[in-house]
Amino acid sequence: MSKLLLSLTFFFLIPLSMIAQNKTITGKVVDESGSPVAGASVLARGSKKGVQTNKDGNFSITVTGSGNTELIISSVGFVTKMVTGNGNEPLSVQLVKEVVTQDDVVVVGYATTKRKDLTGSISSVSAKQLKDIPLTSAAEALQGKLAGVQVTASDGAPGADIVIRVRGGGSITQDNSPLYIVDGVQVDNALSVIAPQDIASYDVLKDASTTAIYGARGANGVVIITTKSGRSGRTIVSYNGSFGWRELPETQKVLNSYDFVRWQYERTRANSTDSSSFAQTYGTTWDTLNNYKNVPAINWQEEVFGRKATYRNHNVSMSGGNQATTFNLSLSASREDGLLLESGFDRKIANFRFDHKLNDKARVGFTVRYLDQAVRGAGTTNSGTRTTNRLRHSIQYRPFEVKNAPPADQFDEAYYQASNQIQNPVILTMAEYRRQETRAVYLTGYASYNLMKNLVFRTTLGYDNTGIRQELFYSKITPTARNASSLPTASIGEQRNQTISNSNTLQYNVNNFKKHHTFSVLIGEEIVQRDAKSNFTETRYFPADISPKNALANMGLGAAPTGATQPRPSSSVNPPYRLFSLFGRISYAYDDKFLVTLNDRMDRSSKFKYENGALNFMSGSAAWRFTKHKFMEKLGWLSDGKIRFGYGAVGNDRIGDLLYQQLYGVTGEYALNHNILPGFAPVALANEDLEWERNVTRNLGLDLSFLRGRINLSIDVYKNSAKNLLLQTPIPPTSGYTFQTRNLGATSNKGIEFQLGAEVIQKKNFTWTSNFNMGFNKNKIENLGGPTQITKSAGWQGTDGADDYLVRVGDPVGQMYGFVTDGFYQINEFDYNATTATYTLKAGVPTNISLYGAPQPGQIKYKDLNGDGVITVDGDRQVIGNANPKFSGGWNNQFVYKGFDASVFVNFVYGNDIYNANKIEWTDGAFTNLNMLNIMKDRFTYINDQGVRVTDPTQLAALNANAKIWTPIRTQRYYAHSWAIEDGSYLRINNLTVGYTIPKNIVTRAKISSFRVYATVNNLATLTSYSGYDPDVTTRRSDPLTPGVDFAGYPRARTWVFGVNVTF
Amino acid sequence: MKNKFINPFVKIAAFSFLIAGLTGGCKKFIEVEPVSQFSIPQVFSDVTNATTAVIGVYDELMGDNNYGIRINLYYPYDSDEMIVTGGIDGGRRDIGRYRLQLSNGELTNPFNALYRGIEKANLCIEQIPLMPQYTTGTAAEQKELKRLHGEVLTIRAQLYFELIRNWGDVPAPMIPAYRQTELFIPRSDRDSTYDKLLADLLKAEDLVPWRTEVARNERVTKGAVKALRAKMAMFRGGYSLRGRKGALGTMERRADYLTYYQMAKQECADLIANRAQHTLNPNYESIFKTYIAQGTYDPSYEVIFEAGAGGGNSNSDSRMGQYSGPSVNASSRYGSGGGGIQSLPNLFYAYDSADKRRDVSVTYYQVNANNTKQPRRLGELTDGKYRRDWKVPLQPAGLNLGFNWVFIRFSDVLLMFAEADNEISGGPTALAKQYYEEVRTRAFGGNASLIGTTPTDKVGFFNAIVDERLREFAGEGVRKFDLLRWNLLGTKIAAARARIQAITTATTSYPDSVWYKQVGEDIQFYAGANTALTAVPFYRPTNRPNPTTGWTGIQWRRHLTSNSAIDGLPLYNGFASFFTPGKSELFPFSQATLDAYQGKLEQNPGY
Repeated sequence: MSKLLLSLTFFFLIPLSMIAQNKTITGKVVDESGSPVAGASVLARGSKKGVQTNKDGNFSITVTGSGNTELIISSVGFVTKMVTGNGNEPLSVQLVKEVVTQDDVVVVGYATTKRKDLTGSISSVSAKQLKDIPLTSAAEALQGKLAGVQVTASDGAPGADIVIRVRGGGSITQDNSPLYIVDGVQVDNALSVIAPQDIASYDVLKDASTTAIYGARGANGVVIITTKSGRSGRTIVSYNGSFGWRELPETQKVLNSYDFVRWQYERTRANSTDSSSFAQTYGTTWDTLNNYKNVPAINWQEEVFGRKATYRNHNVSMSGGNQATTFNLSLSASREDGLLLESGFDRKIANFRFDHKLNDKARVGFTVRYLDQAVRGAGTTNSGTRTTNRLRHSIQYRPFEVKNAPPADQFDEAYYQASNQIQNPVILTMAEYRRQETRAVYLTGYASYNLMKNLVFRTTLGYDNTGIRQELFYSKITPTARNASSLPTASIGEQRNQTISNSNTLQYNVNNFKKHHTFSVLIGEEIVQRDAKSNFTETRYFPADISPKNALANMGLGAAPTGATQPRPSSSVNPPYRLFSLFGRISYAYDDKFLVTLNDRMDRSSKFKYENGALNFMSGSAAWRFTKHKFMEKLGWLSDGKIRFGYGAVGNDRIGDLLYQQLYGVTGEYALNHNILPGFAPVALANEDLEWERNVTRNLGLDLSFLRGRINLSIDVYKNSAKNLLLQTPIPPTSGYTFQTRNLGATSNKGIEFQLGAEVIQKKNFTWTSNFNMGFNKNKIENLGGPTQITKSAGWQGTDGADDYLVRVGDPVGQMYGFVTDGFYQINEFDYNATTATYTLKAGVPTNISLYGAPQPGQIKYKDLNGDGVITVDGDRQVIGNANPKFSGGWNNQFVYKGFDASVFVNFVYGNDIYNANKIEWTDGAFTNLNMLNIMKDRFTYINDQGVRVTDPTQLAALNANAKIWTPIRTQRYYAHSWAIEDGSYLRINNLTVGYTIPKNIVTRAKISSFRVYATVNNLATLTSYSGYDPDVTTRRSDPLTPGVDFAGYPRARTWVFGVNVTF
Repeated sequence: MKNKFINPFVKIAAFSFLIAGLTGGCKKFIEVEPVSQFSIPQVFSDVTNATTAVIGVYDELMGDNNYGIRINLYYPYDSDEMIVTGGIDGGRRDIGRYRLQLSNGELTNPFNALYRGIEKANLCIEQIPLMPQYTTGTAAEQKELKRLHGEVLTIRAQLYFELIRNWGDVPAPMIPAYRQTELFIPRSDRDSTYDKLLADLLKAEDLVPWRTEVARNERVTKGAVKALRAKMAMFRGGYSLRGRKGALGTMERRADYLTYYQMAKQECADLIANRAQHTLNPNYESIFKTYIAQGTYDPSYEVIFEAGAGGGNSNSDSRMGQYSGPSVNASSRYGSGGGGIQSLPNLFYAYDSADKRRDVSVTYYQVNANNTKQPRRLGELTDGKYRRDWKVPLQPAGLNLGFNWVFIRFSDVLLMFAEADNEISGGPTALAKQYYEEVRTRAFGGNASLIGTTPTDKVGFFNAIVDERLREFAGEGVRKFDLLRWNLLGTKIAAARARIQAITTATTSYPDSVWYKQVGEDIQFYAGANTALTAVPFYRPTNRPNPTTGWTGIQWRRHLTSNSAIDGLPLYNGFASFFTPGKSELFPFSQATLDAYQGKLEQNPGY
């Protein structure tokens, strides 16, 4: 019917308009640099008629009536312009670029808002800032870009976890990761499933006045990701491709062949078995050892990490549409090799976004995203102790081949036994096979309908389904296989997670009511359900030489020998996690001068007993745009100024399921007749009273915009206090449990953040854009719910050490705890008995006998803090480091000169400590045949240049006149001490990019609308005093209470990338 | 026209209904059920599930934090028999040297595991009798549930027994934690806890069957309950350290101790009267070498109560043979093992040369990479009941050998009877002597002529029991606790120091060096005129072959002169070097425990 009407209208209109003297106005729309603007909308005022400019920027519009007609020219990214034309001559319209940071639109809490009208604290990164950085990880792209958002990579492994904390994170033991909202729908772990090329912008909501509308899920901040959508107009096809390589910036210096042998000589003198073993392996006389001066050292780090690991990334996208329908299809594929042999990362992402306007009232849209990812290689680290981590083999393996041993490319069993299980790192890397495959589908959709004028109903639906399969294989030489009769072991773990969410909102807007009042009311409802299930199968005792692929494809092939059993398969299904919410928001603005937003949200979670499950969060924010007052308008240099204040409370329910019920799991096992039987065991001590954790935030912000928006400054001061923390509280172990999840404890984070953006130079041929941000945060534990302190172990040392983190009321999370290093014992601190050639510590000198046995000259010494003369774990440790930076930030500069562009991104972290556990491990002498860091070359020694053991005090003093460091610790005790705590401050040239866009007039001949080539280097240089591989490290991430440990981390690469961006 | 106006409102109304509907169904939506986990009623729904719950209680007997290594191989040393090897280290060696730091992780984990077992047992003890089948089920169901009930009562008693003998007065919850109104449970007097447990065990005796009535496995049977009750009664009637925090404590024994000796004697008498259930195996060595190391069953069932091991993991398997026993080279066909526990020279010489128990309890050899045995010096002997080189079939890889841990053997029952009877009767009765001699006769391979004269006076007989228990149970985690209940730990440590020094200078009794040669993989010692392959020279002061060609000499007695065997001290001073009477008889509560108690738990005396 309507079609018929439409045709009839056309039928009649055409002749009518002819009668009414039509005129045709033509023209060309260009930007500031004179380049044509394609797809700009040209609308005749007063009519509903509109056309679009073609690719050359030309338009032609036919309007009725004679005389002048006003045309409205608009295009995304430009200030809308009104021109007058009469059709007599072509118009030339120049559009001025919109200063993006002020009039950008932000999706905040189920609705869009203009950035300038924000009343809460938000940090944003736009596509413009992202485009130069050809990264495969969307999370890495955030590092240093946002004030108050700390992005820390756990290590340099391909696909490594990246920890994101918004303003420090409030919870002590629960997950502090933020909520991710992609195009209005929650997506778990979004940063690892979206290609950076598909992202249009990031907005991070930092205070409760903006996050509260998301309720509980937003308690740790909200990262809002907007993906690129199509634009009406010509279909644009573009290709972004890059290739390059990664390389290890530097290796750790270790002892060379001669120094290694010399140390082994010294190490084995005390024990006759060891010294005869030394003689068999390395030679019998001191003089023969000099031969090792000519033996070139094998740099195992180079062998294992030294390759130029290739990197390839392709992204093809096609976008376009008409006024009713827009779409964007993007396909990304990347394949990168890790530095470590056998490791790598492959990812394919398909992303399709579709938006359609059914009519004036209804819109629908959906996004389909498919991810297929594989992470290859076992990496260097896992959650276990020294014995199960791998980096040490590259440092501690003997740096040369010896005559009587197998060559360096073969497994040396005798050496493995003689060195406490050190293996050839290359062989070990090959011996452990790991592959993690992730396949995920994300579907999101929305529909909106204008029920009546200003009243919009909107519904969104999100569904994602992620399958993760982890395959592990340990060949016969690995420690894992050695525990199973030295036969290969394989395991397959599969996990499936599914999330469904639905939200429905009604929004009523009134603009400029009685000229002054603008307000909107939003009410809504939302449900979220998450399901997870997993299963795990491990088979041991495979045929000795089976390949990983064969083993993993034949899990039934392992046969347990007599007396041994195969592990039982396990599976687990979580009860569904459900959240039901109701929310509402009122925003009111008076004349753009005063802005007020009030939110209310009720969340009900299945994590709590029904009676405790609901929590009502109220929040609000207000802003005063003082520049809109007459008295301020005279200040021409200040184009916009706004003061914001926000206050809100949100909840957190990220704990295990059903902790309010006393439940049993099948975690016990006991052997009868040497056969394992499963046993029931209580999962945890139920706590019926569990309820929401509450996080109150207060934020005071100031936004200033100078020189017509060319300079923008935001300052935010905040204080967040979390209470009723869902804390794994230590309870008397006599209850049968050591912890119970309780609502106890409180933390606070306070800080200040600065963001400064400037269009420093805006010339026709040269622009310089600069963005700077910096955040200071101070974390404090206010209450631990009873105990005043808890100690935690980073766990790398197993039971051969003591807890090395202290969680204490009044201090921040991340306090490193240990002994204070006091050099080494000096010869004059001992009485020497010339008859027995023994040294006895003088009275009054503190002894560390309780740690490493009776002290001798040259042995490491700690401070006797309690003054009792004996260094003990109980009495002489203190806080020796703090993992929290004083401030961190970044500075991004982008330059454009004619066709050339360049950008430099620098990020910095200041004032944090790193617990360099690697250094403790790699300077230790508990076992023979291990290499050490080169710093130990200057150790205190008992062996003189003739190979004779010196005991006489005078000679020993002369021999060690220049000794800089203690003799390696000979007992297997890995205590944290202050020497291993290092300043983690750094300033990194994170990214340097140079690009060239080939002039249009050249490329258009090849039907290409733009063509850019570029070269980038990531991690170009780092200014730091840190002695490890890289200061951006936190390897023990399974426990949030032990941040800042550098142990067995995968070294970070420097990446060289060359690429093209082509748009057709 | 009309529709246009109404439509939006209808839609809003529908939307509101949707929300209202969801809110109404909210409770149903929000309350979710466990899937992989089980509620208490599900677990205690039938015999099979209840059995799985009881297996969960047994779980806390075995593994690295239980009787797999820590409780049974770390806690019973240093004593006057065996010690932990190596220098003090803040960990297990500090336990041996009695130099305990509150942060010592070796204390915390087993302590927590013992209480975890008690909590699991408390849940079963509460729930099993509440099951309808317990009272109204079929006869088979009732029998089986009663057995389960008796088993968990027994396991709980064993776990508390371990806690009390190491920590003294400990908090003693007897109901599950979810029923407790207050988790800061104060310490209970050990006498009243023992009395409760002894009563529980008496009850359990009627609930569980004799071992011949059921299939053979490691589950608790009537013999185990009775033997444990006897043992616990001996401890209830023995000495233990009492006192308050801050000061040193005193070793005390309750005035009514004979009541408990009587209780022990009665339980032992019941067991001895049922020899068809458990009796002595005529071959002492076979208990360990044949049955424990091969995982087979002793037809005499001398082992009355044991913890089962298997599965090759740290949770359900044991480390005996890998941590204890002779040092076995990792490259040998047996795999890496031993060396964690050292046998003291005085123990070696506590055995008569014909006593067959010496070469089971003490090992004087190590196994080299090429599988050959090599003798060790007198100051380097190791324990021997759980050895990797005895494992059949060979298991060269891994930490776990599947050796069960023996709690109580029949010889313990015989000797407990003799000891209790001597104390009650003011001297040994004929039965007491008979049982004592039965143990000794077996030790000499059944040759009663070698066992010597049994003392007839009370003190003499008691001392004979003290020495006999040393020889019979060396390396079984028994000695230190025996000495504690007799209040002899300090005395015997001092005596051992003196004895080792005496051995060092006993030039006319023991050889300075011994000479040996390799015969296949075994060792043959030079033993003068005795040319048997198995002859040993350890009791001959002079035994140097002449000429020495073909023989290798190693230090024996002379080795003890080393000045820095342990922590820079000679062996006789280095072991148990921080032993402090009035303190070291008990462990301290760890810092983690004290912190968790927020100052509401009093520390043991001396710490």
